[in-house]
Amino acid sequence: MRATAVGQDVTERQWARLVPLGTAMLVVAYLAATFRIAEGTLYIQGVVTTAAVFAILAVSLDLVAGVTGLYSLGHAGLFALGAYATTLLNQHGWNIFLLLPVSLIGVGVVGILLGTVSLRVSGLYFAITTFIFTLVVTVLISDLQFTGGLQGLAGPVFPDFPAGLSGLGSSVVWCVSLCLLVTLVVVWSIRSSPLYPVLLAIRDAEPFAAAAGVRTSAMKVGVFGLSAALAGMAGWAFSFLGFVSPGQFSWTVSVNILVMVILGGMNTKLGPILGAAFISAFPVVVSIDPFIQEVVFGCIFVAVIVFFPTGIMGVASAVARRLRPAAPIAVEVVDLADGAPIAYAPLAADVPAESRHANAADENALVCRNVVFSYLSGTRAVDGVDLTVRRGTIHGLIGPNGSGKSTLVNLISGQLTPDAGTIEVNGHSVQHLGAASRPARGVMRTFQTAVLVKELPARENVTIGLYGRVKHIPSRASVWPLIPSARRDHRDMREQAGAALQSAGLDRRWSGALVADVPHGVEQLTQLAAACVGQPSILILDEPLAGLSATEVEQVSEILRRLQRDGVTVIVIEHQTRFIFEMCDDVTVLAAGQLVTTGRAADVRSNERVREVYLGQ
Amino acid sequence: MLQVLLSGISSGAVYGLMAMAFAVVYYVTRVINFATGQLLMVSIMATVTLSSAGVPVALAIVIGIALSTCAGVLIYFVAVRPVLRVNRFSFAWLVSTLGVAIALESIAAAIFGPTSRGFPALLYRKNVHIGNASVTWQELLAVGVALVVVIGFEIVRRRTLFGKLGMAISSDPEMAAAVGANTTWYAVIAFGLGGLLAGVAGVLVGPITFANPYLGDTYGIVGFVALMIGGVEKPAAAMGGGLVLGVLSVAANTYIGSQASDWFPFVVVIVVLLIAPHGLFASGNPFTRWTRRTGVRTATTTTGVRP
Repeated sequence: MRATAVGQDVTERQWARLVPLGTAMLVVAYLAATFRIAEGTLYIQGVVTTAAVFAILAVSLDLVAGVTGLYSLGHAGLFALGAYATTLLNQHGWNIFLLLPVSLIGVGVVGILLGTVSLRVSGLYFAITTFIFTLVVTVLISDLQFTGGLQGLAGPVFPDFPAGLSGLGSSVVWCVSLCLLVTLVVVWSIRSSPLYPVLLAIRDAEPFAAAAGVRTSAMKVGVFGLSAALAGMAGWAFSFLGFVSPGQFSWTVSVNILVMVILGGMNTKLGPILGAAFISAFPVVVSIDPFIQEVVFGCIFVAVIVFFPTGIMGVASAVARRLRPAAPIAVEVVDLADGAPIAYAPLAADVPAESRHANAADENALVCRNVVFSYLSGTRAVDGVDLTVRRGTIHGLIGPNGSGKSTLVNLISGQLTPDAGTIEVNGHSVQHLGAASRPARGVMRTFQTAVLVKELPARENVTIGLYGRVKHIPSRASVWPLIPSARRDHRDMREQAGAALQSAGLDRRWSGALVADVPHGVEQLTQLAAACVGQPSILILDEPLAGLSATEVEQVSEILRRLQRDGVTVIVIEHQTRFIFEMCDDVTVLAAGQLVTTGRAADVRSNERVREVYLGQ
Repeated sequence: MLQVLLSGISSGAVYGLMAMAFAVVYYVTRVINFATGQLLMVSIMATVTLSSAGVPVALAIVIGIALSTCAGVLIYFVAVRPVLRVNRFSFAWLVSTLGVAIALESIAAAIFGPTSRGFPALLYRKNVHIGNASVTWQELLAVGVALVVVIGFEIVRRRTLFGKLGMAISSDPEMAAAVGANTTWYAVIAFGLGGLLAGVAGVLVGPITFANPYLGDTYGIVGFVALMIGGVEKPAAAMGGGLVLGVLSVAANTYIGSQASDWFPFVVVIVVLLIAPHGLFASGNPFTRWTRRTGVRTATTTTGVRP
């Protein structure tokens, strides 16, 4: 499945060779800066360590808020748990260094529990329940006896360096600095791993992610757990900076951290760090009356949200774009007059079909028996439908609007669970499995309107379709660039995605274009490529022709024929009956949730009832 | 027992008014105005300042409530409208209204200092005995106001064109705008009404709590917790949440200990969020939900998939 590597890919490889060198230089510079600060005055040390602790919090919050779209207001509470656990357990004689993994894992587990509870309902509820979590933690630490009430507790003393290393300066500065470094390595690794497009898809296009085999709920909880663990580590480091008291962890701190992320720029590498540095250094550098300072803070929050919703990094990149306009995509514009293709490459040569999970002995790829489903209450959207799809055929699903086609397809692909009946894919019954388990059974699908990640290039979107085929993406993501095999896998994924785009008939130049900038037809074909790249044995297309031009329809027809040659079973919902009867071997007709008829295309076409209910003849 | 119930209902009525102040705004605009508690504080501080400057108490109260109403509208124009114009579905208002809350509270603290001041006693000193329990007229007034507000709101919502348009806007603003509803005007009214309710709650509770710049924090959180207990979807449900919270808090204070009302609301809200994430009085309450479990689950997972 190696695509022909030309031009673009070569420069990419050259870049890849420079990356380790650049990273090494950055780390050295970072350590040198830490050394300077560790040698510096106590004032500088105080400002920088506080800012660094908040940078850990902001970077970890950006992972959930910016990347995954979960606005957590629980980070102050998690931060408090780390700090108080370290302080209290240290008083009971626990070793400080043992307490680091304890804080990481303990707070991470709390985060997973909190996430499990609060992610059951929609996004706003997550913000609210995490907000309440912070309130509860604050009330507890203010009211309980052993937490020292409102006075708080004196944090543990971090041991100095042993004599041999005393030239390094303050050990606390090194401790905080290394914690920030670990956080950056973890979060930036995830940002450069194949998990990053997946997380953005969970944020912007959850059904698409689920259809690619991502267990979206578990993934959200997992990401939140990781972010919580990092917040716990921030708490661990913070406890060495002096007193811990409830006022340092109130709900306003949660808001502060979120503002740091937004001020710096959500979903950016440097944004959260810049925001944390600004907000935490502000009261020290500009020392004014504390009440006035709070007023200024409140006003900054509002002003940032209202005037700079994209934050410092957003403004900076807007300025950079203005100074150096990006080269426009080198693609001829559609010539509407003669309907010339936008940018369709000649279809790439056939990719040899690999094993398609097929159980060749079994003639039917998909069998639905007596499937029943109703939304909430009342009418049955799908009412006792039997459907048999022969292996290797193109099977059309037609019917008037509201006849239950999309519902049936959602049942087959697992977006919905049937109330009754069985669905067998390649001989295995799957009706109890969720959407994310279907790709492993060989079922991939597209949606009526493509919902992709707008801010990513087409090719990165297609790599999401490979999620189920590459092993251990989530478990390796936090150290991805450090593992040679992972880097290799990523390169393979990109090559396969590029090849899939080409075999969907998209010119190579589209693969780097942001989905936000491409025309509708290209977006639909990108979606098709993302479904094909996972090498399904059964491919479900929900109105693949909606909004496509005549040329693009030809393109899709050609792709379907090729998929069929490769042995893929295709189920297609479409309203263009000419297309259906031309392309399909078998056709099933639904009306009002019930099966009208099913059979060979020619027979269905001449069926009296079909003419009556659908063809209107 | 009767005493607990009566005191609980009367303090619950104030919590309920605060919860309704949140809920009215959420109902129309899908925004939770986190500065609602501070609006209560605005009316209390304004009333105290004016009445101690010699203004008649009744006039001071009216001006105080008017100020909190105006402040509510102002919040909409400063912190909510600009962010909703960029993206109606973003949660940016969460940060901007919290920012307003911090700013308002700190301005009050900077002007008046962090200590408490007296509030006109109003009807607080006059007791009334019901059975073997006794409540103040002030507390009864709170219950009466809460009743009037809930009933009035429901009548307007269900029986008038104005209220029905409000319902339409709450479910689909674009569609409502397409049939001619002025969504901005409704949002202004909602924020104004939120400020009004918070201001009224302030006057009802002022004689008990006195005037303090940080009252907004306390009552904002309690009102918000009551909202979560009752459910955000219907303002009347929010009032129900307030009453439940009021009775349970007073009961906790009586039977557990005097500090219990600090943490007890959170225990209640956690339990409620665990068993009924949409609130106790939401249309799909936990019991019907349980029987229709599969249906509900699939319905929530399909949004965005259905044609």
